[in-house]
Amino acid sequence: MLVLGKLSLTLALVFSLASVLFLALGMRWDRKDLIRNGYYAVYAFFLTTVVSSAVLLQAFLKKDFSFGYVTENSDASLSTFYRIAGFWAGQQGSFLLWLLLIAVVAVVIALRDLGKVQRLVGGAVMVLCSIGAVFTALMVLNAASNPFEKTVAGTQPFGLNPLLLHPAMVLHPPALFIGYVGLSVPFAFAVSALLLGDAGKTWVKLSQKWAVFGWLTLSLGIGLGAWWAYVVLSFGGYWGWDPVENTSLVPWLAATALLHSFTLYRTRGIFKHWALGLAAATFFFTILATWTTRTGLIQSVHAFEKNPLLVQILTGFLVVIAAVSAGLMAWRWRRFASHDEVESLLSRDFMYYVTNLLLTLFAVAVAFGTVVVPLAMNRTVGPSTYNAIAQPLGVVTLALIAVCPLLAWRKTEGATLLRLLIVPAVFAAVSVPLWLALGLGSSLRGMIGLVVCAFAAGAVVQFILRSARRAAGPDASLRSGLGRAFTGSRSRTAAYFVHFGMVLVVAGLIGSNVYKVEQSTILRVKPGATASVSGYTLTYKGMRNATGPQSSTRAIATFDVTHDGSSAGVLEPRTDVYPVAGAAVRAVILGGWKQDLFVVADEPFDKSSSTIALRMVVFPLIRFVWLGSILLCVGAAVSLWPKGRTQEQEAREPVAADGDADGGLRRASA
Amino acid sequence: MNKKSRTRLLVATGVIVVVFVIGVVFLVQRQGAYYRQVSDLAAGQYNGKNVKVGGKVLDGTITRDTSGVHFTIQDLTGQTSTVKVTYAGQMPNTFNGGVDVVVVGKYASGDQTITADQLQTKCPSKYKAQATTPPTATQ
Repeated sequence: MLVLGKLSLTLALVFSLASVLFLALGMRWDRKDLIRNGYYAVYAFFLTTVVSSAVLLQAFLKKDFSFGYVTENSDASLSTFYRIAGFWAGQQGSFLLWLLLIAVVAVVIALRDLGKVQRLVGGAVMVLCSIGAVFTALMVLNAASNPFEKTVAGTQPFGLNPLLLHPAMVLHPPALFIGYVGLSVPFAFAVSALLLGDAGKTWVKLSQKWAVFGWLTLSLGIGLGAWWAYVVLSFGGYWGWDPVENTSLVPWLAATALLHSFTLYRTRGIFKHWALGLAAATFFFTILATWTTRTGLIQSVHAFEKNPLLVQILTGFLVVIAAVSAGLMAWRWRRFASHDEVESLLSRDFMYYVTNLLLTLFAVAVAFGTVVVPLAMNRTVGPSTYNAIAQPLGVVTLALIAVCPLLAWRKTEGATLLRLLIVPAVFAAVSVPLWLALGLGSSLRGMIGLVVCAFAAGAVVQFILRSARRAAGPDASLRSGLGRAFTGSRSRTAAYFVHFGMVLVVAGLIGSNVYKVEQSTILRVKPGATASVSGYTLTYKGMRNATGPQSSTRAIATFDVTHDGSSAGVLEPRTDVYPVAGAAVRAVILGGWKQDLFVVADEPFDKSSSTIALRMVVFPLIRFVWLGSILLCVGAAVSLWPKGRTQEQEAREPVAADGDADGGLRRASA
Repeated sequence: MNKKSRTRLLVATGVIVVVFVIGVVFLVQRQGAYYRQVSDLAAGQYNGKNVKVGGKVLDGTITRDTSGVHFTIQDLTGQTSTVKVTYAGQMPNTFNGGVDVVVVGKYASGDQTITADQLQTKCPSKYKAQATTPPTATQ
């Protein structure tokens, strides 16, 4: 079976290169027959990647430990669910998964275009196959990246680290990879449009849904990773500004700016350079993420052994992406110029522009701190530096996205704007006593941030009200327009959800960072011993032993918790001892909408311990982060949802000339 | 787009970019930790500076008191040099004698101690580097 896996990978390389050749020639000479042949080669490329993936998957399912990769990432005791997850638990398998996803996307785009055979689409598929060829070459040429190399035969299966035995950690890597692959589609179409000099809207229409889909799954992947870190990793937080986290945030920021540029490109024909540049930058950053985490050049909690060939291939790939994108953009700069750019500083255009600029600068700054500072300056920056950049920038950006949809295109009269800002201002004012009542008055910068959040929430409400009023027309009541404010335009409805989700995320980030209360104490193991933190009192009750998965044993300490004198529940922080991986403390969380109480022992304990080093952290508003993240994904899903016929007609009506219209997108892939 | 609005846009962009770049450079200069090996610290030029070093936690050196956790780490590049570390924050789950950690904090050459404000152990992911040092590393 190893041979079959290797053989199909080699064939995948052949077919991906063949499709690149056919598509390049077909595109150059405008020959539909060649492009069609290229598409056939894409099917073959897709099939060979399916065969390789199936070979690896069956090895995991059948516990075939003749595969070195299976030995390293699985063992016989794991359930089927976690054995499947072993597929992408290591570097080699994650490259194969990535390759499979690229092939799936390439073949879907090719299939949809088989009737028309457009040069623009052929060019995009060519770019996707080139990316696929690079990944295949990486596995074929570099034995250490090939999942079918028999590296550690004869050793005991390593199993899966107990900390990774969590559903979020099973779904987190594929979600990130699907996001990265989805976000490579806009790049593919951008390169194709640049090659053809086609400055029309087609490439944006064809890639926009893929971009939204990629953004959605990337958001989901980042959210799952953060949640896992919070509930499983027990380090007392959910985001540590580690290189591995940063490099997934950077493409997300660039993609967020890209989606906004796409809206302006499609509806108003402006921001063309931004759209091209951000499509390229987003893709560059996804590969930079791989480069950072897989080459071992940047010291991170994710450690990988250094592998010279892998470093050379990935570095070369990054250089090629940057050079090709920059070269093509320079060549076609004038053709993609838009004649009608930002007129007034008090316009929606300008707000979009500034939001884009800030998101891009934020992405570049995080990439700079993560990659350039360690490599070129031989220094390193930590959470305090990133927080100092992110906190003001996040609040300013939130204020911008609040005001942006309320402004008119081109130019807004000051008086009109002031009238539109009444609702947000009322929200901001009313929120002050609310935040004070929640006990969040202790920090001025926190209060400023939270008031901006309330202002932004009010702006979303105003945005919905205004859409409702327009939908209802001058005579009908506001209520009659309310339904249509939500059903009128998919992308506008998506914006309500995403912007409101972002408000909640930022409020949660402020609450759980600025107002975090941390208390550690060394507690004597004796029933009745107490520890307390901001209104909570923990009373030690006793300790018991239990058994867990993977023949682990557990020591569980029981605490009664009271909050401001009334009973709040029972918490049982524990130490898990695994026969192979050793002891690990596990945190427990007493959750609520106002705040979470997070309790963890600072070091492993058992029945022989005379003291427990207990750490208690109160995270105000942290649930808003999770709820907001879900709303972000819901919003993105809304904009992806296929339209009904009536909605399409409505979307094309002048009401939507407002700029958020989505008509004509039905042909878009995805 | 007319000339006036183009100029205005360029000025606005320029101001934002310049303010941002100055801010980032200032932060990196002020807070950036020097990334060094344990063996580099002996020379003394990093006294009072922020450093980031990786090292192996020596068995039997871990003590805990009300000011936090104290332990000694050894150079990872084959040297025998060691440095003491004091850390008051949340202990990572996988921290133990014998594991590799990365600490970031202020180095004092007087008592050869790093007062760390960040402590990381290697990630539990099963990528190559962990797999080749089989799981017996943590006991």
